[in-house]
Amino acid sequence: MSLRPFLGEPSASPAEAADWSRRRVIGNNLRSVLGRAYPRIRGSLREKSWVAFEIGLPFLSTSAFVFVYRAVQAPPEYIGFVVLGGAMTAFWLNVVWMMAAQLYWEKDQGNLELYFAAPMSLMSVLFGMAIGGLFMSSSRAVIVLVVASTVYGVHFTVLQWPLLLTVFLLTLTALYGLGMMLASLFLMWGREAWHLTQLMVEPVYFVSGLNFPVGRLGMLGALAVAIIPLAVGLDAMRQLAFAGGPPPVGTPPADIEALILVAMTVVFILLARVMLRSLELRARREGRLTVRWR
Amino acid sequence: MPVTDSSSGLPGAASPLAVPAIQARGIRRVYAAKPEPVTALDGIDLEVAPGEFFGLLGPNGAGKTTLIKILTTLLLPSAGQARVFGFDIETETKKIRRIMNMVAGGEQSGYGILEVREQLWMFSQFYGIGVRDGWQRVDELIEAVGLGDQRKQRVSTLSTGQRQKMNFARGLLNDPWILFLDEPTLGLDVSAARSVRELIGAWKAAVPGRTVLLTTHYMAEADELCERIAIVDRGRILAIGSPAELKKRVQRESLFRLELDRLAGGPASLAGLPGVVSAVAATAEGSGAADEARQTVVVNLVLEDDAALGGVVVALDPLGAHIVALAKSEPSLEDVFVELVGRGFDDDHAPEPVLRPDETGHPDVAEAAR
Amino acid sequence: MSALGGSADFDLARTEGPGSGQIFRSFRTAAALGWKMEANWTDPLLFFIYSVAKPVASALILVFMLEVIAGPAGRANRGFVVVGSALWSFVVGGIAGLAWSVLDDRERYRMLKYVYVSPSDFLVVLVGRGVARIAVGGMGALITLALGVVVLGIPFDPFRIDWPLLAAVMALGLAAIVAVSILLAAVCLQTRQDSWQYPEAVAGALFLVTGAVFPLAVLPGAVQVAGLLVPFTWWIEGVRRALFPTGLSAIGGAGSTWASLVGPGAPSGPSIVLALLVTGGLATLGSMAIFRASERRAKDRGLIDQTTGS
Repeated sequence: MSLRPFLGEPSASPAEAADWSRRRVIGNNLRSVLGRAYPRIRGSLREKSWVAFEIGLPFLSTSAFVFVYRAVQAPPEYIGFVVLGGAMTAFWLNVVWMMAAQLYWEKDQGNLELYFAAPMSLMSVLFGMAIGGLFMSSSRAVIVLVVASTVYGVHFTVLQWPLLLTVFLLTLTALYGLGMMLASLFLMWGREAWHLTQLMVEPVYFVSGLNFPVGRLGMLGALAVAIIPLAVGLDAMRQLAFAGGPPPVGTPPADIEALILVAMTVVFILLARVMLRSLELRARREGRLTVRWR
Repeated sequence: MPVTDSSSGLPGAASPLAVPAIQARGIRRVYAAKPEPVTALDGIDLEVAPGEFFGLLGPNGAGKTTLIKILTTLLLPSAGQARVFGFDIETETKKIRRIMNMVAGGEQSGYGILEVREQLWMFSQFYGIGVRDGWQRVDELIEAVGLGDQRKQRVSTLSTGQRQKMNFARGLLNDPWILFLDEPTLGLDVSAARSVRELIGAWKAAVPGRTVLLTTHYMAEADELCERIAIVDRGRILAIGSPAELKKRVQRESLFRLELDRLAGGPASLAGLPGVVSAVAATAEGSGAADEARQTVVVNLVLEDDAALGGVVVALDPLGAHIVALAKSEPSLEDVFVELVGRGFDDDHAPEPVLRPDETGHPDVAEAAR
Repeated sequence: MSALGGSADFDLARTEGPGSGQIFRSFRTAAALGWKMEANWTDPLLFFIYSVAKPVASALILVFMLEVIAGPAGRANRGFVVVGSALWSFVVGGIAGLAWSVLDDRERYRMLKYVYVSPSDFLVVLVGRGVARIAVGGMGALITLALGVVVLGIPFDPFRIDWPLLAAVMALGLAAIVAVSILLAAVCLQTRQDSWQYPEAVAGALFLVTGAVFPLAVLPGAVQVAGLLVPFTWWIEGVRRALFPTGLSAIGGAGSTWASLVGPGAPSGPSIVLALLVTGGLATLGSMAIFRASERRAKDRGLIDQTTGS
């Protein structure tokens, strides 16, 4: 039995083995994204209870807010706002549960130190987690959007498809950048990650205008647009998905919001990089990468 | 300057100009804890040559895992410096991570819902191995560690021994230049532990030139696998040397129990031979009923060194004696530990250890002997 | 007799089942553990903020939706919405309690198997572990109600509280919350670690049919019937009636299934209690049966001590 199998030519020395080209570093990080996304996708295909709980039930939850608006005879476009908000909820929950809280749970499981001991960037691992969760989130978002629109008679009027898709993708990238930032904070702050997760869910729903145009919140709405990707993205998508409707109140036009999302993406990802590095340094200094007792 | 060069005759040892695999100077690690800080490492100096199989042996709480976490870039020292193949553990972490891997015992890490093959492939991606190459390498390693039948089994259903083999396979994925093993047989039964030790030995034999740092509190494991051992207690290295060198601290002579079918003149006929310090008949405890039944003669020999045994064996024939059994009696590494520390591995109540390395005060026995 | 153990003779009496005293002791111990863990994760200030922020934010979402979007019509229903939303946060926290305890103890603390093999009743220990979250949810609900009265000006007369009705519906309602929580725990015994969100998803779905923030009359008839079978619908109606006797009813009123079945007007206090007793009782029996079946299946498939991370 040979334990010598290796692929390709072995390196001549440790120094040569440690010296990776930029291309190899990038390749390593991209493969790590794939590697970490794999268990999440595999897991969701193997254990399918999420179909009922993360698609069926959220549809009912979105329906509740539709009926709230019907009960108070709100203008019909608000039904569409709620449906779109319900669909985007899936991505926010993906960021909060499947990215932000994840490093904390990885530490609990004993995987975190293995990640740190490997050469890839932790951002790749987090991104892989997000991509893996995207499978479930996208399914949820699509089904809520399609079914709710059909059942409740929502009509979309899209005049700028490229901008709408761009805004959607930028919203995701900005959200994932935020998720990476939150991951490092959660790891350092939380003894019970989902308590912090809970804090992020309902209050963010409120200030992001998940169920109503965020501009109606006045100054609070303006602040949300400035710092919460979900608020900006959702408002821009509403303007683009229901073109020809009433002009936005208290928020910029969709193309400006797209630029805000670009800026958010860049800022959050840069901040995430800085925070993850300082997190690692601090965790190594304080010995927090492993846990002996939970 | 590396201590372990040609003077110790270690296989795979590099030339004096080679970069040491591990170089640690004055490593201290203090944990902020309540009610008072805990000093896990208290001034560790260590050098491991490339290609060496080096062991850290000590009881629980000695600081072995803390040291290995520092060397694997998971923990920063409170003071001191360390390098792995010349790369600084604080500032060149990425380079170290590309050439090392680690396997810990008692690990519960892993994603239970994945199959063994998938779990290992995921890690292959983290080490930059190509997608298809990764599957191929994983399959080869799974066969090599004896998990062929479990390749498609979920990680959550593996036995402890199987899980550790999987962890070991993970540790070899990136063909590391240095492999850190932190109590790799912890919690395994005798058979599984032996299996893992054999794997470690087989890997080391297959890739000479690779370095292994093993931490353990199992004496036999350190004795069996390691070329050199550092005995650690309460954050300090008490002695460094090969197992034989360390045992010589306790007992410089060689002890043998020699059973003969007959011996003209009794044990006294052996006492005057060159290199024989003493030869006495075995006491009642040393001889058993089987010896009496066979009417053999059992002699406890104390020799100046192992080489003197040859002369004894040669001298037996003229005396008409034939060897029935020959056993070497050696002190254990725990005897060495007790000698150094004044208490056993399991005894937490002894006073603070008094460092009594040797006359020079240097913990490295080989270095002190020069 | 050695220092390490008791008598050397085997005592058959020790194999007898636990008496009621042992059951209560198990429950109490588990509840104390649950509270320690629930309250120990951060400092008291942040804990308070956490306990309050979520239910208050939920209430504000609805208040805003109604008042800013619907104008005066929405403003008139402020009390209805705030009370329903506050009570709903109680429900969410409560039904998540046992489910999260199962996931916690199985995946993170790896203690579930030890709890299971102990002589204490498994369900009793789980319920004990979960009541801490019910308590936290209740605290949040009370604070939200208080803020609604003090800050949002919901009209409230403490001298008009129907205390007997309140006591009855609270007792039965808590039992119903525990029942649904047991049902979710049964589900989580079978599912993987990523099921943390399931309790909230279930709560979100039930939100639609329980009249928490809008009258059932808005819903199609069949959906209203489904809502009337959910114990939480009666619980929220009962608490609203007890605290705000002259407020709007979620169950009765024009266009409601209740009106077509029973007649105009809101259900009376005794009707509410009876309906809650029946629906809660059915929910309890059903959830217990499902839990036991889930437990058997978990034992059969070795799920009690599995880890399922991804």
